[in-house]
Amino acid sequence: MTTLVTPSPDTTEAAPPQKSGAATFWRKVRTPVAVLAAVALIGVLLSLGDEQFPGGHLEPESVRPDGTRALVQVLREDREVTVARSSSAAETALTGAEDAVLVVFLDHRLLPSELQELADLDVDTVLIQPSLHSLNTFVPGVDMTGRIEDDDPLEPHCDLPAGVEAGTADVGGEVYRATTGLSTQECYPAEEGASLLRVENDGSSTTVLGTGLPLTNGHLADEGNAALALNLTDADTVVWLRPDPPPQEGSASLWELIPEGVRWSLVPLVALLALLALWRGRRLGALVPESLPVVVQASETTEGRARLYRSRKARDRAAAALRSGFLERSLPRIGLRPDASPDAVVSALAQRLGEDPQTLRALLHPSGIDPYTGDDEGTARLAEALDELARRLR
Amino acid sequence: MAVTGRSVLVALFAVGAVLISGRLSALVTAVALALLALLLVLDALLAASPGALHLSREGDTSLRLGDSATVYLTVHNPTRRTLRGRIRDAWPPSAHSRPRSRSLHVPSGERRRIGTELTPTRRGDARAAGVTVRSIGPLGLAGRQRTLSTPWAVRVLPPFHSRRHLPGKLSRLRELEGQHTVMVRGQGSEFDSLRDYVPGDDVRSIDWRATARGEGVVVRTWRPERDRRLLVVLDTGRTSAGRVGDTPRLDHAMDAALLLSALAGKAGDRVDFLAHDRRVRAQVKASGKGSQVSRIVEAMALLEPELVESDPADLVGTILGTQGRSRKLVVLLTDLDATVLEEGLLPRLPALTSRHLLLIASVRDPAVEAMAEERGTPEALYRAASAERTLGERRRITAELRRLGVEVVDAGPEQIAPALADAYLDLKARGRL
Repeated sequence: MTTLVTPSPDTTEAAPPQKSGAATFWRKVRTPVAVLAAVALIGVLLSLGDEQFPGGHLEPESVRPDGTRALVQVLREDREVTVARSSSAAETALTGAEDAVLVVFLDHRLLPSELQELADLDVDTVLIQPSLHSLNTFVPGVDMTGRIEDDDPLEPHCDLPAGVEAGTADVGGEVYRATTGLSTQECYPAEEGASLLRVENDGSSTTVLGTGLPLTNGHLADEGNAALALNLTDADTVVWLRPDPPPQEGSASLWELIPEGVRWSLVPLVALLALLALWRGRRLGALVPESLPVVVQASETTEGRARLYRSRKARDRAAAALRSGFLERSLPRIGLRPDASPDAVVSALAQRLGEDPQTLRALLHPSGIDPYTGDDEGTARLAEALDELARRLR
Repeated sequence: MAVTGRSVLVALFAVGAVLISGRLSALVTAVALALLALLLVLDALLAASPGALHLSREGDTSLRLGDSATVYLTVHNPTRRTLRGRIRDAWPPSAHSRPRSRSLHVPSGERRRIGTELTPTRRGDARAAGVTVRSIGPLGLAGRQRTLSTPWAVRVLPPFHSRRHLPGKLSRLRELEGQHTVMVRGQGSEFDSLRDYVPGDDVRSIDWRATARGEGVVVRTWRPERDRRLLVVLDTGRTSAGRVGDTPRLDHAMDAALLLSALAGKAGDRVDFLAHDRRVRAQVKASGKGSQVSRIVEAMALLEPELVESDPADLVGTILGTQGRSRKLVVLLTDLDATVLEEGLLPRLPALTSRHLLLIASVRDPAVEAMAEERGTPEALYRAASAERTLGERRRITAELRRLGVEVVDAGPEQIAPALADAYLDLKARGRL
């Protein structure tokens, strides 16, 4: 008997043939992995060509209706446009510019000191819907006097070239009026004031517009909005100041709310955990290695051959083995040599047991089609018949 | 460096102190950590140095598989500090040493002896792996640890279960030699002595010449040949690794070989021993009279089945070449595997059998015989057919070997040792040695 030496950990029980652990694992996980891969692939394909634009009211990069990307792009065709996110950036952009205009949005985000610095720059400035503080800093003497609630376009009714050339525009928003004694030009008047107001100082002008609506992507093409916007920013250098919100101050994070003692106790806690790990984890000396003995059953090849017979349904081989086993055990009992001829065996057995020679011949030495190897039941009948013969010979 | 559970407890106190410290927590943290570190380092430094210990061993050096042996370790503490802590005498897992570790207290200048009981489950040399001493400082917070080397090996010998058969076989041997009872004449072909005829003796054994010289009738007695040579060969190739029951074939073969060697030694024959697969693994040559069993047992202790195909050509060459030229009985303990034997040993048999008498002994696997009896399901039938085929091949190779003049002993794991001894006694009785 050949002992096939395999590194099987335990061969004492005749376990059914098992695939290796890796194969089983792969069969289990391959469907979820395929689904995940497909989802990821579709996601990647869908995201290709999708450019991310920031959103926000009057945001120069936003493509939404309330953004101003369209206007900025138009301005960039023949002017130098700088988008500034803080007052210091705007100041840097304006330094050294000959013919410049500063457009200020959302100026409530700027600190009073920053507003004052911008006002002191002495450049042409357009304030879009300024805060009261900003109004006081840039154009002292101009007040917000009301608000136009309906969306109807307004007529310029003034001699300011920017308004006259633009004509009707969607400028319904806050309205302003200058206190007496201030030389101003007012356009798009309503009952309580004018939507567009320009104050000329010595050398520079400050323009106040009550709403950013004419500049937005959504309304740029309506009425005379586009002309108004381009006229207001008529300079070689346009600095577009949309300040980012100032950093939050004064609010405490969760970490800061935890008592100081608790926070500091984490340090000795780490030390405690390290000591605990060292206490439990430190071995008393290294593991002792030892080579394992080979564990394999001597009957391993016989078992393997049995499984091979079964998987291939080798009934002819099985029947031959059963027959020869029976003959080798029985021939000495009936006084025949192991190499006796089939005829001698059949006739000797028939004589001894009183069986029909034809039946015995079909059982032991079939010629032509073997009646016992058609199916598993046939082989079972053969084994039963051989066992019965062996019992009677005993 | 090693720490104890007590140090974790101290660290817990430090955590608590920082928790309740309020505004001073940063300072308290720094102080607590510094204090903790200081205590740990101080304690470790104050511990007795484990490296300075003197270790020595004494105890058993060999035992039979299945028995237990005790190895003692003496720890001498020459330092001026008391050693407190734990000690572990490490052995390979199969040695099953007990206890795994124990606490140790050795005052300065004193020594302590600790015993480790080994109950090995494998043959061969079990070697001590190292002694690990963890010495804890006076505060019980931290300590130092060191693994010291104190070599010691315990040789685990084959169990020789078949010893219990020896008295029975020896009494049969004495029967053969005519020493057992007066009435039974010794068998054999070697002339032993003349003695007076007693009724019941075979008349054919009367020595007429001596009878004519003296008063009464004298008969010759014979005894079996003595001073014959035996060579016991163990095949340690891959087929010897297969387990019959829960024991490898090789161990069953060793058991049988030991009984045979013991018996042959008592019978006055010289026993050589050889273990071989692709090369000689172990060899014992008989030196003068007396039993070789203890030397053979020593040689067997280290044998393990090798996962290589045996080389019969080299084996036959070794037997013919180096083991003396006189005729001897070669007992080969291997597996009766038809294909292996047909391709390997059969073509080289004539060279061997022309000079020596060959006896092949093999352990039969009861599992295969049980398989051949299985009935019921189709699977059982296929298993039975496969087992029948294995058994048939075994019968065929046995018949083939017998036809070539080889003695074959084929028995189950329980019977192989007595069966081999019986075969040897039969050969001796028939004067075939």
